[in-house]
Amino acid sequence: MAGLRFRAGRRFGTLAGLIGLCLLLWILTPHFLTVANALNVMEQTSINAIVAVGMTYVIISGGIDLSVGSLLALSGVVLAEALKGGWPAPFAVAASFGVGAAAGLANGLGIALGRLPPFIMTLGMMSVARGAALLVTDGRPVSGFSSGFRSLATGHALGVPSPIVFTLAIYAVAALVLSRTRFGRYVYGIGGNEEATRLSGVEVRFHKMIVYGVSGLTSAIAALLLTARLNSAQPIAGINYELDAIAATVIGGTSLTGGEGSLGGTMVGALIMGVLRNGLNLLGVSSFLQQLVIGAVIIAAVLVDLMLKEKRA
Amino acid sequence: MIRSDTSVGSDARRRADTRVRHYLLISIVAAVALASIACNRGTATTGRPRVAFVLKTLNSPFFNDMQRGAEDAAKKLGVDLVVQAADREIDVERQMQIIENLLQTGINALCLTPSGSKEVVPAVVKANRANIPVVIVDTRLDPAASSEAGAKIASFTGSDNYEGGRIAGRFITTASGGRAKVAVLEGIPGHETGDSRLRGFRDAVRDTPDVQVVASQTANWERDQGFNVFQNMLQAHPDIDTVFACNDMMALGAMEAIRAAGKTGRIRVVGFDAVDDARKAIEEGTMAASVAQFPDEMGRVAVENAVHAIRGEPVTPDVRVRIELVTKKGG
Repeated sequence: MAGLRFRAGRRFGTLAGLIGLCLLLWILTPHFLTVANALNVMEQTSINAIVAVGMTYVIISGGIDLSVGSLLALSGVVLAEALKGGWPAPFAVAASFGVGAAAGLANGLGIALGRLPPFIMTLGMMSVARGAALLVTDGRPVSGFSSGFRSLATGHALGVPSPIVFTLAIYAVAALVLSRTRFGRYVYGIGGNEEATRLSGVEVRFHKMIVYGVSGLTSAIAALLLTARLNSAQPIAGINYELDAIAATVIGGTSLTGGEGSLGGTMVGALIMGVLRNGLNLLGVSSFLQQLVIGAVIIAAVLVDLMLKEKRA
Repeated sequence: MIRSDTSVGSDARRRADTRVRHYLLISIVAAVALASIACNRGTATTGRPRVAFVLKTLNSPFFNDMQRGAEDAAKKLGVDLVVQAADREIDVERQMQIIENLLQTGINALCLTPSGSKEVVPAVVKANRANIPVVIVDTRLDPAASSEAGAKIASFTGSDNYEGGRIAGRFITTASGGRAKVAVLEGIPGHETGDSRLRGFRDAVRDTPDVQVVASQTANWERDQGFNVFQNMLQAHPDIDTVFACNDMMALGAMEAIRAAGKTGRIRVVGFDAVDDARKAIEEGTMAASVAQFPDEMGRVAVENAVHAIRGEPVTPDVRVRIELVTKKGG
């Protein structure tokens, strides 16, 4: 019981932070609180939010995945090359998701069976996947797709831009899996106490592999949206995306030591970063100051979180 | 659970600790709020036309000069100028977000140096839909991608990079007496500016068989990569006597690698952009030449064209800003 209350409390803290931030921006600029801008922010947040789904799984399981940005680039160029090669879109998408998930599973294999620290394995994969993406494309962006394909990112459903619809759907499924399935409980168990989980008869190594596979898959889904949005897949896409995804996850209250966290929190964390970037653009803040402010807010958000945690404990 | 910190002393300490954290937190929040307010003054509504200038980056002297030229023109013409850029030159997705965000703020015109010739086309289309005239600066939009998406621009302002590459190639041919082993440091593949310079350079040296390109690789526009890539090239081809770098940052990196190898003065370095550090090196004699662009002029012309477009006046669709070779004076 105590654990449940505790988790709810943390989520409330970050949500209050997001609302406070929105209020501040609403006071500072008339352009912030409009329907067009709200949709704009959510659309811009979608890529990071989707990458952060896999990151949340990984971090709850006690690991870290530094390769997500490179996996995004690799699955993006695989998708683009397949489409350019005349593959029907569903096959191209399947190939791209397959490559993303397979590279993620390879991460899991090295970590679970090879006993490599996740930091090292995914750091290596970050470079391997980036190199592969550059090799496949000869370093050049691959672009020019059919308007049907581009509408994946540029289309609307009931006036809502499709990236937002995708993001909500993915969060709904991923949150359900995390909270309602046996696999979801194992993810928390592995992150909380791996040894105890193993001793209670859970095949820890297998489930760890799946966790990294999920992370590769969500990177590939983000790649699909990014490629459709830019009408181009770049081998140098996604640099530093791992840092954004980790920041969204941690701001959202997921513990870097594993065992606790939630996707709702991660969504709020991603929105805080998106709103902040959007607001600083609207205010015309210098690009250098923006970096400083974003860093300060990440630190402040986690600090508030820790304080609430202390109060509740 | 065993908790040993129930004594009065550690309770007090914990309270003090919490207070310190409260202060820390409040000061961070206050700093952020103050910073936002301080910067908000610049965008206060004045009734004057607002022009947004989105650069590739602000961490490069080239774009700093462009910003200065744009600001001068804005002051002269009485318009408000908002300048923004992504942290990294290659971050197209971030540049696109910046454009989308600025379109929300009721700007009257957009000047843009595209981080990707094809990738920013959707953002230009969004500006078109909002009836905001777009002036492209420095790097052209991809013609096929923009005609397919129906993107329209009011004007383009930039240097003739192909001609600049040819000027560099002709200089190397003449200065070496027609015999040279050349290493080329390329920009990021797919960037229109770098690709044009490279084509111009290759076309200029093609007819001189003894000017050989022995190595040609990208150093991604960056100084530290220019150092490393050229050091590796020098390992593979110790007989390199000339470097052509598609920008000065890479040329300056290569110069450091030459210094480290103890070959300063024996390898002719030719760069592009003529940034301040490069001009200094040319005067010192460590660098042979650099092709000068005039980014401040590009910034100025772009803002002028944006203002013409806002007022509904005719706009020159394609402005070529002058370009020239900088070598040691009297040398």
